[in-house]
Amino acid sequence: MTPNRSIITRISVIISRVENLTALYALLAIVVVVLGLVSLPFIAYHDDQLYEKTLDPASTLDPYDRGGVPFGTTPVKAQYPENSPYAGYVTAYLTPFSQWLADTTHHMGTTIVAHPGGIIDEILYNTRGLDTVVETSILFVAFGIASYLFRRDD
Amino acid sequence: MFDLPTANIGGPDLFVLEFGDIVAYFSPYTAALFVFALIFTVLVIVSRPERQVDIAFGGDAYYTKVVDPDLLRFQRFMAIACGLATLGAVVTGDVFNFTLFASMVGITNIGIVAAYRNRHVLNAAFQYGIVAMLATVPLFGGAAIVLAGTGTLSMWELFGGAMAVPLIAKAFLVLGVMGEGMAPFYIAKAEITRAQGAPFILMVHVSSLLLFLRVTEIVISM
Repeated sequence: MTPNRSIITRISVIISRVENLTALYALLAIVVVVLGLVSLPFIAYHDDQLYEKTLDPASTLDPYDRGGVPFGTTPVKAQYPENSPYAGYVTAYLTPFSQWLADTTHHMGTTIVAHPGGIIDEILYNTRGLDTVVETSILFVAFGIASYLFRRDD
Repeated sequence: MFDLPTANIGGPDLFVLEFGDIVAYFSPYTAALFVFALIFTVLVIVSRPERQVDIAFGGDAYYTKVVDPDLLRFQRFMAIACGLATLGAVVTGDVFNFTLFASMVGITNIGIVAAYRNRHVLNAAFQYGIVAMLATVPLFGGAAIVLAGTGTLSMWELFGGAMAVPLIAKAFLVLGVMGEGMAPFYIAKAEITRAQGAPFILMVHVSSLLLFLRVTEIVISM
């Protein structure tokens, strides 16, 4: 490196290389994360959550207990209830097989066969349905890229 | 029923589109961004690709580069998807929905440049891809901190000023959009634009520019 370069020239030499891009971004991310860690004690958890999460270890559906009453009406909190008139009716059910699993065993309700609906599904499919659409679009685009790169003939 | 409290930022709301809790809105600001993105998406749909010409210096010789039809079709698809994601990102009224659209913009940007065989372009696209993947962490982390700190994600509530959004959440959002849209990291773009294929390549720039303008509005208003 030539000695007479100004500081601006040295910086611009570093950031003009594509290979340094990841390191540069990582450095930026580290700075912000450190600032975040410093400011962490001043951030209070807001108790009145719109999308609240409750855990009930005694439930037979335990880790996948998504709340709600099977075959009943489930109260769902929504930011704008007038936009979701059918919230609470859509997926608050268990299939009969899942109900049987949950009734007879204690932990089989946690398996994938016991797909209970509930509050989370209400949020995913009803009050925040556009999010679900965009998520699947992201997956679709990603699979599109992967399949094009895989199938192209060299 | 709705009352957008940010008259000083984007003006009054002109039109509101409800998707349950996600209420997209068109203020003069977001409508301008939307129209710009729409024009560019239409341009991508109707236009034909450029044909690059290499001129041998010091002589009359020149040779044109071949446009691969498969590559062209794939690029156009990715550019249209990128335009649609940008359209969503500039009008959405929900922080998490915005982050989803932003990450979709990042992925489609990678898709536009990923199919080239030029070594320089692929090098830049690889670095860009790593940064875009890395950027999802601060992006979604920012949305998560907004939710944890205020209990809601709707911009209609957050813009009011009654909610105190933590500063670090805003910093994370900006950092995430910087990584996804690559707005200040133009070195990767300079390498990427060596690739042939305007106007599809230009979608990378348009989307990141609009995304950055939008996140500026969000961060200032919150």
